[in-house]
Amino acid sequence: MGEVKKSASQRGAGIVFFLAGFIGALLVGWVVFPNVLYSTKTQPIMFLHSSHQDSNCEDCHYFREDGSYSGLPKLEKCAECHAEPMGDKPEEKRLVEEYIQQEREIPWLVYAWQPDNVYFSHAAHTQQQGIECVRCHRDVTKETKNPPFRENRLTGYSDKTMKMVECEKCHAERGASNACHLCHK
Amino acid sequence: MSLGRRAFLQFVGGAIGGTLLTPIPWKLADDSAIWTQNWSWRPSPQRGEITRVRSVCQLCPGGCGITARLVNGRRAVAVTGNEAHAVSGGGVCPVGASSLQYVYAPYRIQQPLKQTGSRGDPKGFKPVSWAEALKEVAAKLTQLRSGGKPHTVACLTGQKRSTVTRLWKHFLTAYGSPNFYTMPDAADSVRLAVALTTGMDAEPGFQWHKASYVLNFGAPLLEGWGSPVYLQQVFARWQTEKPGVPRTVLVHVESRASLTASKAHRWIACNPGTEAALALGIAHVLVRDKLYDAAFVAEKVFGFEDWTDPTGAQRKGFKNVVLAKYGLEDVSSITGVAPQVIQDLARELARQKHALVVWGQDKGDKPNSLYHDLAFLALNALLGTLSPSGTVALVPHDPWPDFPEPILDTDAYRGAGQTPLGRPSAVPRTKAPVNTVMPFLEALASGSEYPVELLFVHEANPIYSLPETALALQAFQKAGMVVSFSSYMDETTQWADIVLPNHTALERLDDVVGLPGAPHAYYAVSSPILKPLYDTKNAGDILLGLAAAVGGGVAESLPWKTYEDVLKLRVGSIAKAGTGLVPSAAFFDPASVQPGRALKPNFKDAADLWNKLKAGGCWVDAPAAAETFATPSERYELACQGLMASVPPTAADELFMPRFHPLKPSGEESEYPLLLMTYASLMLSEGYVPNTPFMNKLLPDDLLRKQDVFVDIHPQTARSVGLTDKAAAVLKTPRGEARVRVRLTPAVKPGVVAVPQGFGHTAYDEYVQQKGFNANSLIEVQLDPVTGLGTVWATRAQLRRV
Repeated sequence: MGEVKKSASQRGAGIVFFLAGFIGALLVGWVVFPNVLYSTKTQPIMFLHSSHQDSNCEDCHYFREDGSYSGLPKLEKCAECHAEPMGDKPEEKRLVEEYIQQEREIPWLVYAWQPDNVYFSHAAHTQQQGIECVRCHRDVTKETKNPPFRENRLTGYSDKTMKMVECEKCHAERGASNACHLCHK
Repeated sequence: MSLGRRAFLQFVGGAIGGTLLTPIPWKLADDSAIWTQNWSWRPSPQRGEITRVRSVCQLCPGGCGITARLVNGRRAVAVTGNEAHAVSGGGVCPVGASSLQYVYAPYRIQQPLKQTGSRGDPKGFKPVSWAEALKEVAAKLTQLRSGGKPHTVACLTGQKRSTVTRLWKHFLTAYGSPNFYTMPDAADSVRLAVALTTGMDAEPGFQWHKASYVLNFGAPLLEGWGSPVYLQQVFARWQTEKPGVPRTVLVHVESRASLTASKAHRWIACNPGTEAALALGIAHVLVRDKLYDAAFVAEKVFGFEDWTDPTGAQRKGFKNVVLAKYGLEDVSSITGVAPQVIQDLARELARQKHALVVWGQDKGDKPNSLYHDLAFLALNALLGTLSPSGTVALVPHDPWPDFPEPILDTDAYRGAGQTPLGRPSAVPRTKAPVNTVMPFLEALASGSEYPVELLFVHEANPIYSLPETALALQAFQKAGMVVSFSSYMDETTQWADIVLPNHTALERLDDVVGLPGAPHAYYAVSSPILKPLYDTKNAGDILLGLAAAVGGGVAESLPWKTYEDVLKLRVGSIAKAGTGLVPSAAFFDPASVQPGRALKPNFKDAADLWNKLKAGGCWVDAPAAAETFATPSERYELACQGLMASVPPTAADELFMPRFHPLKPSGEESEYPLLLMTYASLMLSEGYVPNTPFMNKLLPDDLLRKQDVFVDIHPQTARSVGLTDKAAAVLKTPRGEARVRVRLTPAVKPGVVAVPQGFGHTAYDEYVQQKGFNANSLIEVQLDPVTGLGTVWATRAQLRRV
């Protein structure tokens, strides 16, 4: 009996050690790891879409004549209005002095940047085709500050970068092709 | 509870189980894969707006229209042809297609440099500011001029068809130096021959589209001769069937079965260097059988019959000389072509309504023997192709009298009276300029006349690309100060004292004047496709700055503020003349351009023409018809009276007219039993720019294998030397030796070694360096006894096993 008792206590202790390892790993994996994997960066300039309500989205984000998408506007677009500061906000002053006057492009951190091996055409994913911008991008209309850019230390991409599975899911739902070469030319 | 081994294993087991239920392994596996895609050395194309800029290529004299594709207007990613360009019609050669690799090359010079160590040491160069570099060069120019030695300043440029060439000459004339040279060109001798026979400074323009039968003496039409893309378009047109129009027949005469020979309808394999003899043999048959254009010869040709020279001496005419000296048997023994074949060729040629005789060598960068150029021109004259309705037009080289006469002050007069260094006194004085670059280098190297205190090298790499590279190097070492305008650290620039880097061909505003071999006048503006990447300047602007710094007559002669002003002056002259048009490929038929029928302009004024040209167009116009000739006899001179001053009065009659006159290569036949001859290829660039890495990808492994270059020999030659296919050997000539591999092919004659050009660089980067040997270091230049031009046809050589 003594041997059995010892064995039961040993088993109990074994479960404790196992659980300690198990729970510890879960904690590391779900809590510590994401914080270690991502570094938090801020945009070089605080840009608020909500402060630019006097412009249309298409003023800055438009399709070019050849059907390609302009994406983020270049500095010269900003300079159209901000060649001189329009107000007295310190961020605008910085934009004018550090970038526009020095003709330095703003090194925006792009939340939706995709790798080079992904071919994506905005022209095929428009509101006319029933796809709203917010299907893939965040809603920027009411933002009061830029969300932090959480950069994957290993890959360099944002944690918001869409993964392939999301493309595939939507394509499957809409009956669009999921052939490899559609995106990987 | 004890923390023993068992407990540890249980903990680890739990941890592994737990980890598998977290993102760690799955996320890391995915991210690692993505991480490998973003390694820093992996090329990543820039994203952004794609734009296209049209321009005209400056990398060879071909004048092709190009389209550059750019991202965000700053990063050029591709160069393709411009389909709207009337001459190149969307085509582009390997050099043009890979030209961006010159712009982004690691061997670009990024700012002015000064040699601080010993000359020739590439590590001795230190960056200096533009102000400092220009000040030093200007001070040297001022010092030499005020010291009464302006003639000791010389310039060697590789640009032959840009206005900057004209600007250099203008600068040196106003400065007081006669020592202006361009890199050797076939046009150097052809222009002299044309000037002697017609009295015009013009180049023969061949009406390729009109010709029904082309007899081509050696010009590699498909391997880079003339304007390469233009000629490929012509060749394609010859091959295109058109109802009711017979195809153009191409007969190619060359000792080697070159690409052009293999694509011709008929290949006549003559002995090396005997093409001119064959031309005279054909002329013999035309004269003997009275098959020549009797009307043209009677009305427009002088010296066909016996003639009296200005001293009153009776001289034999071409007819009697060619009948006596170039009989079929004699010509056959020289050329190795059967008498019957020569006779048949002559008769076939005479039967044609639109026959055309063309000649050339390599990529048109080697002057020919004057007498041989005269022989090919004579054959054209006999066939009447030089008549206004014929197939050869005379296209003036640079017809616009837009540059003001240089103002010669007393300093300039002092230098202008000096003879150009090394120039032989026998060189005939004609309207055509004389470019005795090889005698200049010989005199400089030997120090036999006066020294050169300041030598400018512009867009040229003579220490690599001039035949007899050793001589060029020796000459450069003797020069007082060498200033290079190169964009690249090439073999020549390494020997410079100061480097004033020019923008590359794609970064600068420049122009193209004339198209080699084309039957019409041509002018194009080459616009920059992107902003200069580095701290470089347009050589034209540098020159204007130096002129202003020197002051006096030089500054007055070059009053323009920028090189763009000079180009606008040229465009203004064309617009003022009011003829010619800027055609689009879709609406332009080159066959419609006829001498004497000026094209109706499609531009309003100079500003409109400038805009059209800046947008990548080209201006073309028909040349004047050759109704009269500006020679002493006012006819085409088969017997050139212009040679009276170049040959002694007692000279034999044939010294005034075309003749077969091969120059004997040096070396003993017993020691050097073979003849080395070079060949050109579109896959190889042997001039100012080297091969790009992309071009090297085109080279087959029986031309370049690792670092070995193959030379072609006949199997019979291989047997006599004891070599097998692909065997390594040493190729030796009186000028030097190199390690080679041999390729056995019946495409070359027994006794001949065919050597590719464009290998063996010692400068630039790992893609170009130390690949094979430089053919120019082995070949021998023979100076034409009349013109002093450096001709190259064959060099004695030996091959031995290693």
